[in-house]
Amino acid sequence: MSDNGVILDVRSISKHFGALKAVDKVNFQVKKGEIVGLIGPNGAGKTTITNLVTGELRKTEGEVHFKGINVSNMQPFQIARIGLTRTYQVVKPLQGMTVEENILVGSLFGRSDRENDLNSARKTTHHIMELVGLEKKKDSKVSDVTLPDLKRMEFARVLAMDPEVIFLDEVMAGLNPSEVEESMELVKNIRAEKQLTIVYIEHIMKAVMGISDRIIVLHHGQKICEGSPTEVCDNPAVIEAYLGKKYAKEVISG
Amino acid sequence: MGLGLQMFVNALLLGGLYALMGIGFSLQWGISGIINLSYGAMVLLGSYLSLIIFNMFHIDPFISMFVTGAILFLLGAFIYRFTLQPLLKGGIVFTLIVTFAIRLIIENIILLVWSADYRTIRVSYAGSNFQFLGAFVPLTKFLTFIIAGVIIYLTYQFMMNTKIGKGIQAVALDKEGAMAVGVDDQKMYLINFALGTALGGVTGTLWATIYSFSPHVMDVIIGRVFIIAILGGLGNIWGAAAGGLLLAFVETSGAIFIGSHWQEAIGLVIMVLVLLLRPHGLIGKKFFG
Amino acid sequence: MIAQNDRKLNINIILIVAALIIFILLPNYISGYYTRIFTAIFMYATIAQCINLMSGYMGYLPFGHVMFFGIGAYISAILMKTGLPVFVAIPAACFCAIVISIILGFPVLRLRGHYFAIATIGMNGAIMTVVQNATEITGGARGTTFPIITVPPAVVYKYFYLAMFGLMVITSLVMNMIVNSKFGFGIRSIKANEDAANSMGINTTFTKVSTWAIAAMFTSIAGGLYGYWMSFIAPDEVFDLMFITNSIIMMLIGGAGTILGPIFGAFIVETVSEVAWSGFMQYHLAALGIATIIIVFFIPRGLIGTITDKMRNRRIKLSKKTEVTNV
Ligand SMILES: Nc1ncnc2c1ncn2[C@@H]1O[C@H](COP(=O)(O)OP(=O)(O)OP(=O)(O)O)[C@@H](O)[C@H]1O
Ligand SMILES: [Mg+2]
Repeated sequence: MSDNGVILDVRSISKHFGALKAVDKVNFQVKKGEIVGLIGPNGAGKTTITNLVTGELRKTEGEVHFKGINVSNMQPFQIARIGLTRTYQVVKPLQGMTVEENILVGSLFGRSDRENDLNSARKTTHHIMELVGLEKKKDSKVSDVTLPDLKRMEFARVLAMDPEVIFLDEVMAGLNPSEVEESMELVKNIRAEKQLTIVYIEHIMKAVMGISDRIIVLHHGQKICEGSPTEVCDNPAVIEAYLGKKYAKEVISG
Repeated sequence: MGLGLQMFVNALLLGGLYALMGIGFSLQWGISGIINLSYGAMVLLGSYLSLIIFNMFHIDPFISMFVTGAILFLLGAFIYRFTLQPLLKGGIVFTLIVTFAIRLIIENIILLVWSADYRTIRVSYAGSNFQFLGAFVPLTKFLTFIIAGVIIYLTYQFMMNTKIGKGIQAVALDKEGAMAVGVDDQKMYLINFALGTALGGVTGTLWATIYSFSPHVMDVIIGRVFIIAILGGLGNIWGAAAGGLLLAFVETSGAIFIGSHWQEAIGLVIMVLVLLLRPHGLIGKKFFG
Repeated sequence: MIAQNDRKLNINIILIVAALIIFILLPNYISGYYTRIFTAIFMYATIAQCINLMSGYMGYLPFGHVMFFGIGAYISAILMKTGLPVFVAIPAACFCAIVISIILGFPVLRLRGHYFAIATIGMNGAIMTVVQNATEITGGARGTTFPIITVPPAVVYKYFYLAMFGLMVITSLVMNMIVNSKFGFGIRSIKANEDAANSMGINTTFTKVSTWAIAAMFTSIAGGLYGYWMSFIAPDEVFDLMFITNSIIMMLIGGAGTILGPIFGAFIVETVSEVAWSGFMQYHLAALGIATIIIVFFIPRGLIGTITDKMRNRRIKLSKKTEVTNV
């Protein structure tokens, strides 16, 4: 079972698209309460790993265990119901609904071992909207709100699902520096309040370094390094393969 | 043995017409993204237009097909530009209902002008036929088969070797990419839709030299082209041609071995199975296989 | 605010009860001709309500849905010929329709968009051919009759009027309950973004199949009543896609994704086509076609949809105004 606090255990998963090995025998574990950064250049396989873990893509090989349960062959909704979920790099709002309704759907469904009838879901929704600061937008249709607000809404929707582990796939892409700052605060605060475990995918180095307890580096579908932020930055393989020396120094100091 | 060969020839001759008919519909659906419920009405319009031309000017349908094709091309362009293009964003419900409404309008015009009676075009050589390896081949059917083959080949050449054809392929394969290199996507969809309509009209003209026709035929045609397009894979010219031949063979042999009552059901069941098991069609993958 | 909502609710309930009473009493005061037209309106409103649940709310256009209408009519006819009373035959037919919808639903609801719509047309055609050919049981292509009702026609028409009216009311109430429930949010999420819905914990397959079964249930009851009402049915009539195209037009005109929409749409379209029939019969089809195109162009959200949009915008504007004054 989930010994020494491991909540998510990814065992040698692969995904091949024809000849392309988008994910190649990747192993990693996530402990309860951790924030793990998952980084790598464009096309490294980060989103694909997320899709494999949450059941949206079929694995070519490998297994995923969550809370000691083998979720390898489950559908996304089943995995979401036991508390593992994700946000989308390219936002997937529920079109034609309002911001509030989007979050309400998260509260109504999501994890199933809690009270989630309409009344309690409305309460949850209200609470979450306060937490992330979306009350003013609640009656707007999703087609009328800006991208940063959509990202915020998607984050809120995931929180409303009351998960234990979240994959955040580039929630900050497209945000300006002050919005990034704000968003980092939000993630930190909420993590503390909800005791979340987060797998954090991000290109903005400053954000990853500042927020993660541990970092996993992917390159061409393979895990090339894993360790604390400073260890990863000093790792020659990472610098070679991914950051490039000059850039590495810049992001660490800057 | 003789019966088998005759059946084969019958199916082949019918299949040529089905192939041509299916391609127009398949192009409209697969490339312009419109399930054209008025397609049957457009095919029939081709039949009736050649009937007028034949009755008034005594021009042979095999010649007037150029005129009906051109008229239907313009009609298709007009319909796309003014009723379909503005509604594309509304999705399938809107385009289905509007093409159905257009069908009602055309049906009404046909009923007013020609009534619901069955009509025929009898060219002077309608009774002629010849023997081929012991099989009996009516001349008009043979001519429609050859012409259908030529038109299908020309359509394919148009798609592969002209600038507009390549533009249509480009928007079909990757709309954003095509737009980025300066292809006018709406113009391509329009030309493609109009081309599909023209192919339908020409089929109607050819059809009229063999079979009698009335407004009822509309539903028969629509039922067939759905099956042909799905069998061949949407927007795929050779796929639709093969689908047309296949349907003709299935119908002809089904009528003999299972009974003509079941003819319709066989085609439909095959269509549903293909949809469920091989959504890109039996033949080829996507587009111009 | 809450008091205001309560008052609005009360007014709505009063309106609904008044409408119910008026329509229940109406057949006593109108001719048989109008009684029949109203019966047809109620029937169409019921079917349009089912199409609306599938398409307006869930985003799956069941073009061949008329198969359940035909199944309802035929199974009722067959059972009643064996001597079963109507209130056993129609529920039994309805049960069969539900079972068939579930069996067909699992494979066919995996298809999306165009493919789903077309596959249902294919299924409808195949079922119709089976009915046409199973002559021993169904009477074949020439059709079959229901047992004769030994009550004067005027009374019979009133019965069917009330039965169809009851069916429409119950269907609409059930639909209203569904779309405002948790299950209804699942349905709407599927239309909004099916993949996202699934990843949010919605069992999309279960939701889609159940929704189709509900739509099949009410449509098959309408079919059974229609058959008994007509007393004679033929396959190319009760499996005619025209029922569905008409219902789709009604849904669009009234407003897809609203509960009142299909009802108003059925009233408008039936009235217009009745006028078109009697007024200028020869142009009846063209008139219907042109009217459809005009409506789709000018009120794409339908009557009820446009009104609710307007009201929502006004509410947002008002709330913005109060915000400004508060600051
Ligand atoms: N459905 C698919 N079919 C074929 N190839 C795919 C598919 N999805 C992803 N790929 C390929 O797999 C590789 C990994 O893609 P993935 O989206 O996981 O990268 P990523 O690390 O998330 O990149 P980014 O930082 O750009 O988001 C890429 O080469 C991509 O082109
Ligand atoms: Mg990615």
